[in-house]
Amino acid sequence: MTLLLCAFLFAVLSEPGSQPDSRPVDFSREVRPILASYCIRCHGPDEKARKGGLRLDDREAAIRTLSGGNRAIVPGKPGDSEILERLTTDDVNSVMPPRKLGKRPSPREVEILEQWIAQGARYTTHWAYAPPVRAPSPAVSDPSWPRNPIDHFVLARLDREKLRPSPAADRHTLLRRAALDLTGLPPSSEEADRFINDAAPDAYERAVDALLKKPSYGERWAAMWLDLARYGDSQGYIHDPPRTIWRWRDWLIQALNDNLPYDRFTTEMLAGDLLPGATPAQVVATGFHRNTTNNTEGGANGEEYRHASVVDRVNTTMQAWMGTSLACAQCHNHKYDPFTQKEYYQIFSVFNSTADANGEDPTIEVPRMGQEAAYAGLSAQFARAKQKLDEESQWVDSRRGDWEKAVDRARLPKDLADILAVPAEKRTKAQADALAAHHRSTHPDWSGRDADVRRLRAELDGVSTTTLVMKEIAPRPTAVAIRGEYQSRGEPVTPGVPAALHPAPSGVKLDRLGLAKWIVDPSNPLTARVAVNRLWQEIFGVGLVETSEEFGTQGEPPSHPELLDWLATEYVRLGWDTKQLLKVIVTSAAYRQSSVVGDASYQVDPMNRLLARGPRSRLSAEALRDQALFVSGLLSAKPFGPPVHPYQPLNGLAAAFGPSTDWETSKGEDAHRRALYTRWRRNLPYPSMIAFDVPERAVCSMRRIRTNTPIQALVTLNDPVFIEAAQALARRILTEGGATLESRAAFGVRLVLSRPASEAETHRLAALFQASRSSLAADPARASALATRPLGPVPAGMDVLDAAAWTVVGNVLLNLDETLAKR
Amino acid sequence: MIPQPPDRLVHQTRRHFLREGSLGLGGVALASLLGGAAPADDPFAPKPPHYPAKVKNVIFLSMSGGPPHLDLFDYKPELVKRNGQDCPASLTEGKPFAFTAAGATKLQGTPQKFTQHGQGGAWISAAMPRLAEIADELTFIKSMYTDQFNHGPAELLLMTGIPRTAGRPSLGSWVTYGLGSENRDLPGFIVFVSGGSLPSAGKSGWGNGFLPSVYQGVQCRTGGDPVLYLTDPEGMDRSLRRASLDALKDLNAPKPGEPIHPETATRIAQYELAFRMQMVVPELMDVSREPARILEAYGAQPGAASFANNCLLARRLVEKGVRFVQLFDWGWDFHGTKAEEDIGENLIRRCAAMDRAVAALIQDLKCRGLLDETLVIWMGEFGRTPFREGRTAAGPHIGRDHHPFSNTLFMAGGGLKPGITHGATDELGFHVTENPVHVHDIQATLLHLLGMDHTRLTYRFQGRDFRLTDVQGRVIKQILA
Repeated sequence: MTLLLCAFLFAVLSEPGSQPDSRPVDFSREVRPILASYCIRCHGPDEKARKGGLRLDDREAAIRTLSGGNRAIVPGKPGDSEILERLTTDDVNSVMPPRKLGKRPSPREVEILEQWIAQGARYTTHWAYAPPVRAPSPAVSDPSWPRNPIDHFVLARLDREKLRPSPAADRHTLLRRAALDLTGLPPSSEEADRFINDAAPDAYERAVDALLKKPSYGERWAAMWLDLARYGDSQGYIHDPPRTIWRWRDWLIQALNDNLPYDRFTTEMLAGDLLPGATPAQVVATGFHRNTTNNTEGGANGEEYRHASVVDRVNTTMQAWMGTSLACAQCHNHKYDPFTQKEYYQIFSVFNSTADANGEDPTIEVPRMGQEAAYAGLSAQFARAKQKLDEESQWVDSRRGDWEKAVDRARLPKDLADILAVPAEKRTKAQADALAAHHRSTHPDWSGRDADVRRLRAELDGVSTTTLVMKEIAPRPTAVAIRGEYQSRGEPVTPGVPAALHPAPSGVKLDRLGLAKWIVDPSNPLTARVAVNRLWQEIFGVGLVETSEEFGTQGEPPSHPELLDWLATEYVRLGWDTKQLLKVIVTSAAYRQSSVVGDASYQVDPMNRLLARGPRSRLSAEALRDQALFVSGLLSAKPFGPPVHPYQPLNGLAAAFGPSTDWETSKGEDAHRRALYTRWRRNLPYPSMIAFDVPERAVCSMRRIRTNTPIQALVTLNDPVFIEAAQALARRILTEGGATLESRAAFGVRLVLSRPASEAETHRLAALFQASRSSLAADPARASALATRPLGPVPAGMDVLDAAAWTVVGNVLLNLDETLAKR
Repeated sequence: MIPQPPDRLVHQTRRHFLREGSLGLGGVALASLLGGAAPADDPFAPKPPHYPAKVKNVIFLSMSGGPPHLDLFDYKPELVKRNGQDCPASLTEGKPFAFTAAGATKLQGTPQKFTQHGQGGAWISAAMPRLAEIADELTFIKSMYTDQFNHGPAELLLMTGIPRTAGRPSLGSWVTYGLGSENRDLPGFIVFVSGGSLPSAGKSGWGNGFLPSVYQGVQCRTGGDPVLYLTDPEGMDRSLRRASLDALKDLNAPKPGEPIHPETATRIAQYELAFRMQMVVPELMDVSREPARILEAYGAQPGAASFANNCLLARRLVEKGVRFVQLFDWGWDFHGTKAEEDIGENLIRRCAAMDRAVAALIQDLKCRGLLDETLVIWMGEFGRTPFREGRTAAGPHIGRDHHPFSNTLFMAGGGLKPGITHGATDELGFHVTENPVHVHDIQATLLHLLGMDHTRLTYRFQGRDFRLTDVQGRVIKQILA
């Protein structure tokens, strides 16, 4: 035992950096994570879980003399602090954490605690729960490098690490990077040429402005919000029936393109229906929280799934806007952060007063995007026609009683005969309406009179849709659900916000609107940080806080805390102007660096957390598909509308108790729309999107973990969607790429990568073309298949063999690492 | 006494390993491209278990719909005796049933003939003659129960540990995340669906949930490409594909003087792996390579899309080191709404192909010495009621409603006591009376046999450590050898 203890102490002493350190230990960043990892579960805010009466998340409690006369922490006296003894002892009866938990602090972690106690054991509020502080731009080693305050923070950090920023990326790379980041599409050749030939010093800033104005901007950023909103075109669970809520998705795209300030954007999604004089668009916006799932299986208890939806709304709201895992407090007090289970249900009660209950209702009918005027006109005509018809139908309806007595039931369709068997006073409205409609249709005086109403209704359907919305009803009584079980009702609660966070704005009723106001309140320490961190994550691949979903004590501390706070305060200062903030980020010198990585640089910082180079990541599932269609000229620019069915391999299976899961490919340009318009079925998501890490969208997802798998290679090599793109690319190369092999190869590179080809590349592609052509020449049937399936016959005058061989080249171009990545 | 890295670091590190930049199947290829040491970052690299494993692989036979356990395994003479009598209200009161209203239900004795089999004397009905012959290889649990009486939630609970579509990883994803895979030319988690329908849990049954997507089950299909997009486009033969991958590799090489980005190196390796998969998988999925006597034993036919073929494929995959093979078979929901849902003669017909294939699978694994290192588990998401289903009580076909309160399953393979029966139900087969086993206990036991502690197999998501068994689950020690 002694020997082992010595070995352990030796390890402590020999750990690099263990020499006495006068640098003050930062409680929030260094100490709290250690306490959270090893101690807080049993010695934290949760009274029920607390062991031995010891609480370590609160200074006063932690330094108190315990019932045994000992003290866990004695400020200034590590030797008297029992916590250190317990963490390092080999006595299995007293060691902490208990061995069975399988956790043990490292010598370095023990050393940090020791220093912290020696320095007085000072506690501070967890950084994320304290308001952001706008620090002045720090001094840097090279004042000529920064282009805006972001760069001061980045370079100051690099200076501290004795690293240098990378040189600026070349202009081709930079424009493609910015276009992919801001619009999800590469620049067109014309855009690239315009930028390259623009010698003005602000050429890049203007190019960024132009990108931010493109309608494709909203489509690109909507994809991020669809993950947050757990959007789907189906209801989930076993039957997974279709859902019509795409009009909310269209609202989202438009709101992003209109650059709705983030505070308004937030308020409208959470509580647009409660705004005074709410417009239809503001009501549509509340579809955000109607993306929860329904269980339509026979015998399912509606209340159970309604409760689950409310839980999901609480968790999603706190996650998406405040990076807070309040979800942990659903079944018990939060083990690590200062949230109680009661507080969880106080927020729950805010959401527990909407009309929906495990079904699609309520919905509203609204014009499709851009059809507002047509809808208004048709609605008025329809109302007039309907009124006229109603007047006329009264007479016909007055004859129905006689008809019912006289009609031969055996000759009626079965459903109508069944209705007739029900006594008139017991029929449901739907039954009565069905009967009335049938009777009218058979009546000689009726014939043709409803033609106007039918025609106008059909025309209205063409310019409108229904969509799911939130609707407030009288609040349901809410109680703490014991252990999170909806039937175990504990203490009744009323709306409230967690005491550890900022208070609700005074004079505000705490309904959904009040909660939204609390979320976007300038004193909320989390909302702006979480939002800017998410934008940063989308651009740089990793957030300044890597755990973008968790800013609480269990999350990772920010890599650049002052930069995060500067961005958060800047966002608010700019009036929550998202496009403006994105412009600040993408015009920084940090963003404009080359992403080429040296061996040494990679070893030091594989994830580029220090930002000594520009961003680089594999494109998202959506961008990969959209880019392939765009560069080959197939992509439809048509925005908005019902979900589409691009090519999907036959599955040959029915849904459980349901119809076939296969779909017919959409006709015309709808087969080639941007990926975000693809019908999203939760039980069977589009296969190539799932292969590239799109979440199933059953719950809110704050970041996609990008993977790199052989299944992905099979998608971009062989999926008919990508083969079709390669064929179309081949045809563009043949018609627009000049007459020589070299000019054609170079043209292909320029189309796909938005940059000139090197000579080596041209030669390699030309060689591939020739090898492919001679291989295919022997077998015209193979060549024809490769050039035309599935795209269709080549244009008149085009050589099929050429088209086939360029298809092979196009397939390679679409699979280049540079193509698949943003560099 | 080596200090363990704290869990926090373990999963942080794991998460970093999964970054695209450092993620590589085919670590050797990557290492040679980088000219350095092999990186320890292969998500499928076999990982050490928490403690010595009893089995390496799992074949999970999921009978979607809930087979009528009272007509297959859980013999209740008392129920036969009281056939047609009212079901005691004390049993059904306050309990939800999917298609039967409370009160006025009639007890339904089994129309099947039961006899005892093997040294262990297991009761098995005449609907399962082949399995009856190998009863001493099987470990029965007759005290299984669940919380859910609807298919969707019950199957989700079984497959993902939570009865909702909540973005949780499936059983097979947890296992491949925890243990990696033995075969780098194949996915570690492969799924087959038979019976013409997706299972009730939908794709969540093999989804990766919040785990990285490398761990999602790969659904192998019996028509078209066995794995989606496995086949080169029409007109592209193997040599042309090889030529294009060679060009791709050359073009992906960095500019002179620039080092290759590790992510690029990984991607090149993935393309090579995909190329190998294109050759290996079709061969593996081709059951015509099996001798006639094996095909005959399983009842498999080359080219057919059947549960029997899938059982045979499961063996072929396990033989190649695929960690987790999940079979879903649709059509075990015996309500009695039509002839195919009748638990009389029809049940014998319905069971025939399954009985034959499962018995052949277990025997085949045993002959090859694979049964000791494989766990075969057969079960539905819930049992069926001892009373006749309410809607169809007056109809021509006899059926039973969903029953969450008791069920029978069996397992076979390494680490188990073969030939035993664990747990029991009351004389009517309504409630468990002895050694209750919850769905989470099955999950915990499955992980245990694979060498994993279900309380330590965790993944951090949304700021919280999640596990398959949530806060429950106990290993069923009594059935372990």
